[in-house]
Amino acid sequence: MTPPEPRRSQVLLAAWAVSIFSISAVADVRLLAGASALALVVFRRGSLRESRRVLLGVLPVALGLSLASWAWLWLLGRPPPVAPFAAMAIRAALIAFVTFSVLRRVELLRAAAPFPSASRLLVLSLAQIHALRLLATESALALRSRLPRRPRTRDVLQGSGAVTAALLTLSARNARDIADAMRSRGFH
Amino acid sequence: MHVPDGFLSPKVTLPAWGAAAPLLYWAVRRNFGASSTESLPVVGSLAALAFVVQSIMVPVPGGTSAHLTGVAILAILYNPGVAFVCEALVLLLQALAFGAGGFTVLGVNALAMGLLGPGASWLVHRALRTLSARVAAFAGAYVGVQVATLAVSLVLGLQNRLSPEYMPVPLPVIAAAMMVPSLTVLGVVEGLYTVATLAMLRRVRLVDAS
Repeated sequence: MTPPEPRRSQVLLAAWAVSIFSISAVADVRLLAGASALALVVFRRGSLRESRRVLLGVLPVALGLSLASWAWLWLLGRPPPVAPFAAMAIRAALIAFVTFSVLRRVELLRAAAPFPSASRLLVLSLAQIHALRLLATESALALRSRLPRRPRTRDVLQGSGAVTAALLTLSARNARDIADAMRSRGFH
Repeated sequence: MHVPDGFLSPKVTLPAWGAAAPLLYWAVRRNFGASSTESLPVVGSLAALAFVVQSIMVPVPGGTSAHLTGVAILAILYNPGVAFVCEALVLLLQALAFGAGGFTVLGVNALAMGLLGPGASWLVHRALRTLSARVAAFAGAYVGVQVATLAVSLVLGLQNRLSPEYMPVPLPVIAAAMMVPSLTVLGVVEGLYTVATLAMLRRVRLVDAS
């Protein structure tokens, strides 16, 4: 029987933390391959979507870093064994797959509900990220519309200075408003 | 610059978590006070600011792009403790809410990118600010990026020393691969961004002109 929220999400998060630390301790390719197969069975619902996310977002970086490091050592005249590099790439991909699969099943806000300060900080931060991101996106679009060509390094750097000033002002104002709102609702 | 999950074993990541957690607690208490009504909105807003700044991609010569870290500016405007708290929270949010970055390596990344880098930025900026505000801002941000990158390289090198079968790349190769882009591109981009931001903040009189 599935335990009720927030217990279920907390248990999932704790199991996830233990499992990714455990995976990060494994250096044997066969063990990692076995763990990958097990993860695919355990998280079979939605595994195609998560695998695609890992293939597109994580594996190119992990494989690229492993290949580049292996090639560099090979050029230095020390042809290294392939297994540790393969293990590194599989480990990174497996941890990402488990993370994506678990986080899709976890209600983060509900898991944090028994901890009022953590819960408030989470809500505040995510809301602020949303608000500030809108401003940053609008500024980026405005910069692009002002220029007849693609923005170059200098344009983006100058623009990001102005954006950061606007973001700082907005975040300070939002923080003040939120503090006032919290006080008016009886938070201390 | 930051280490992804799977590149460091618990032999390194657990002590880093152990070192980062009490430092984080101390930094929160010292910089944001005990009242949650006052501190939570400020921490949340500044962390969100750092998160959004880190999503700004700067095109760099060669057809690729780099993202800003934005923690040097927090260290210069406030202090390294504020930058540390914000960076740690950004890394935690990335790991828990977006599944990005890394959770096992969070302690290492927070210490390198949130404490050592911004700490170096703050020290260099303080030492040079009487000479020239622009030079101090650029040098502070540039040195901060190099210190953070060097710290990450050293940790990866330590992992190689502890178990070469886990991390097969030795320190000289790691250091060269990480420090070259950091010295030539990332540090310069962060430095120019910090100069531009401080200039804008001075122009709109949000910070002291000195």
